[in-house]
Amino acid sequence: MKKLLAGAAIALTTLAGIAQADGHANYPDRPIMLMVSYGAGGATDFQARIVTMTAGNDDALGMPIAIINKPGAGGRVGWNWLASQAEADGYTMGAYNIPHFIAQSVKGGVDYSAASFEPIANWGADPAVFVVAADSEFNSMADVVTWAKANPGKLTFSGAGLFVGHHIAALQIEKAAGVKMAYIPNKSGGSGAMKAVIAGDVMAGVNNLSDAFRARAAGTVKILGVADLERNSFMEDVPTMMEQGLNVDNASVNFRGVMVPKGTPQGVIDKLAAAVPAMFANSRVAGKMKAGGSPMHIMTRDEVLAMWAAREKTLKDLLAGL
Amino acid sequence: MEFLYYFDEVFTLWAFSMLLLGTVFGLILGATPGLSPTMAVALAIPFTFKMEPAHGLILLGALYTSTVAGGAVSAILLKIPGAPANIATTLDGHAMAKNGDGKRALQLSFLASLFGGVAGVLLLIFTTPILAKWALVFGPSESFWIAILGVTIIGTLGSTSVIKGLLAGCIGLWISTIGFDDILGTQRFIFHSSLAGGINIIPALIGLFAIPQVIAMFAKGRSHEDMEVLEIKPHPLRKAIREVASSRRALGIGTAVGSMIGLIPGVGGQIAGLVAYDQTRNFSPERTKFGTGHPEGIIAAEAANNAMVGPSLVPLLTLSIPGSPTAAVLLGGLIIHGIFPGPNIFRDYPQVVWPFINSMLIGQVLMCVFGLMIAGAAAHVARVPRSVMAAVVLALAVFGSYSVQLSMDDVFVMLILGTGMYFLERYGYSAAPLVLGLILGPIAEGNFVEGAMIAAAQNGIGTYFFTGTLNLTMIAIVVGSIAYSVWLELKNRQVGGV
Amino acid sequence: MQKYQHAIPAGLIALLGLWVAYVSYTQSPAAAFAFPRLVSAVFVVLAVWTFVKALREGADQDGGFTRTEIFKIAPGMILSAAYVFWGAKFFGFYTGTTIAFFILLSLYDPADHQLAKSWVKRVIITAGFMAVMYCLFALILNVYTPREIWS
Repeated sequence: MKKLLAGAAIALTTLAGIAQADGHANYPDRPIMLMVSYGAGGATDFQARIVTMTAGNDDALGMPIAIINKPGAGGRVGWNWLASQAEADGYTMGAYNIPHFIAQSVKGGVDYSAASFEPIANWGADPAVFVVAADSEFNSMADVVTWAKANPGKLTFSGAGLFVGHHIAALQIEKAAGVKMAYIPNKSGGSGAMKAVIAGDVMAGVNNLSDAFRARAAGTVKILGVADLERNSFMEDVPTMMEQGLNVDNASVNFRGVMVPKGTPQGVIDKLAAAVPAMFANSRVAGKMKAGGSPMHIMTRDEVLAMWAAREKTLKDLLAGL
Repeated sequence: MEFLYYFDEVFTLWAFSMLLLGTVFGLILGATPGLSPTMAVALAIPFTFKMEPAHGLILLGALYTSTVAGGAVSAILLKIPGAPANIATTLDGHAMAKNGDGKRALQLSFLASLFGGVAGVLLLIFTTPILAKWALVFGPSESFWIAILGVTIIGTLGSTSVIKGLLAGCIGLWISTIGFDDILGTQRFIFHSSLAGGINIIPALIGLFAIPQVIAMFAKGRSHEDMEVLEIKPHPLRKAIREVASSRRALGIGTAVGSMIGLIPGVGGQIAGLVAYDQTRNFSPERTKFGTGHPEGIIAAEAANNAMVGPSLVPLLTLSIPGSPTAAVLLGGLIIHGIFPGPNIFRDYPQVVWPFINSMLIGQVLMCVFGLMIAGAAAHVARVPRSVMAAVVLALAVFGSYSVQLSMDDVFVMLILGTGMYFLERYGYSAAPLVLGLILGPIAEGNFVEGAMIAAAQNGIGTYFFTGTLNLTMIAIVVGSIAYSVWLELKNRQVGGV
Repeated sequence: MQKYQHAIPAGLIALLGLWVAYVSYTQSPAAAFAFPRLVSAVFVVLAVWTFVKALREGADQDGGFTRTEIFKIAPGMILSAAYVFWGAKFFGFYTGTTIAFFILLSLYDPADHQLAKSWVKRVIITAGFMAVMYCLFALILNVYTPREIWS
């Protein structure tokens, strides 16, 4: 009954034009939906659920955020939906993965590009790491490169798909080492790619730092290198690719954050851009993220805009040769 | 025997209330067409944020077990499987219910679930290290052959002729390719924008099974004759217990096949019931009676379904590899509480893992008790007038397919597939092979593509798919399964049967 | 007409199979269509076989429709289509479902439509069912539905 009354009240206010008059002061007045373009239980989904768990608090948005999964084709299904079908009213947001969606739009065949979305804030940065099974003969990137040089095209290594962070890292490693290896994209994404490494279906793999951290804690894999500019605080003992003589920068680091479709009212974007980074910074969120082995990296809307532009340029150069 | 020390953790007030809550809700959600176990578990995760890890996991585990069993209720009474796992249950379960023995079918199904479920959890408790190795043995080539084994079953499920069954299977396989190709991202057969997201299995399942039932109820018009959906005769529980206890073959094959196939990451859960059903039929002297309401059909399917639950957690708990969508969601639930699954999980987190596993044992018993109560109430459900039932099922089908990913497109696909299926059913085609095609398509294709890429880098496709003990064993089973069906078909023709 | 009733669905399926095969073998990249090509080849063979068989056997097969049956299912199907493709979005999920549910119930209820009592009964059933749906989907499962027309 309360909801009915509330609904009637909202209808009346809208009719009276009050809502229009003072812009988006009432936003949000109902729950917000956050579309995740990967399956339930995946790294992006699981982190999205953690970072949005305090959305209903009064110091955050005051309304809960509901996660909805639209998985398929490395994220293309979900982002296509967000770009072309979602309502741009501020009640539909999407989780982004950089470099994935930008790389896919550079490659073509999708309905979106970086210009189709408006970033709100970034919550995490998950570098790609190079993993091998715990009983593998490889103990460093140098071992891998030596073997690959002796057996061109025969070193199989898995990753979450084509034109996602793992694939970018794979391309960079091959280019930096000057070797040809066999990248095997997995249709079940990161968890499938990790299974392929642990089970020995492939000889090595590129995977998320957060997942590899847990797998190493479980004793099933060794981590040979991080594709980032600096070592990661979750694993200070693992050297970067650069330290091992491979010229691989941070272009493949998987940045995760929240965006809205283009056309969302500016007032709503401003309001979200102010509230969401603070929501991510909540100490309960940070605690859960740390417990789950997921590196956080909070960035504001302006920082994300700059990061997107920089990534787009790098990826265009890198993928031009393909 | 360490697990015995942790039973009292399950019987604390909080833990036991979680268990009860999870079981009752799981049965209700499972019995509601369109709410799959994956969804039920995913929806419950936010509630577990604030709980103690053990309590949260108990809730999730209870939900998982009981939604799988609850799916049998609508499969039997309405011929609408609650989840892909319950497809095999519709074949004989609904046939039996149509004969007036709905109560008996439900009792058999819950008793078989209890047996299979407990056996599965015991396997999880005692043989985890061995099972973990077995789960890893299945690489792309082996998983591909498992999918092909599933394909060989397609022709024999439910249709009036093997050809029509295979044809329906082909339509299902084709439908599974609609949308974006998972690896290359190429658009395939997207002739309408509603198909851009591909065909999601849950809305398809709801449509293919529920909508034909709804239209069939329309077809009776406003006549007063058999206004009720089903007639339900009373059936004493001890008779059902005796019946299940004496069906050793169905219980044995169901449990063995269910737990072995359920273990394989990415393949098992959805087809375990069907493979077990098919194998039990092959070994049964009353083979021809399957599909007409044979008790063994129900017992094998439901024993397999629930036997799968325990072992399907093995790759998750010991290797951190989620073998099914539901397991993936459970993994999220574990990680949120800071528990990293791995070979040492039993050493590092005994106070969480053992109560969780024990609660699944107790949960099986609770599930069976509540399930039998539902069986008792089934007569009331079946007394609902046809007109009301048609409207209820239609509304549930719409809400269920919409809620999977909040998409109207899924609802459109659901209604169109379902309407098409109604007409096809009238001409002797059946929904079960079509759905099986839809499930097996991505498994066969994905593993073939992955295997082919690995093979191209190594020794070539021939060597990769056709050597190795397990590959050859699987191929032998596939060939044997086809040969056996052909032989039976020929033998039946000679006798003059169909 | 009645004689060849089975040939019609078989023919339509065969046409679908041919279309699938045509698309599979003409689109690129070949790697993405390898599996559809394999499936469509088997699909076409089986569909043509079934079609030929249906033509030869004619009315010997079971199943099929009668005219009265079509008239009985037509109102329900038209209403379902209107509800799914238009009403649910136009009126909002709960409002649309309430309307569709009530009409469907009235269409197929065997009770005499002259009786006021039967209308009251249907209103009560509709209200009760919608209350359950609202509790389950909106309150317990928190499913986010399209906005209602009056909100």
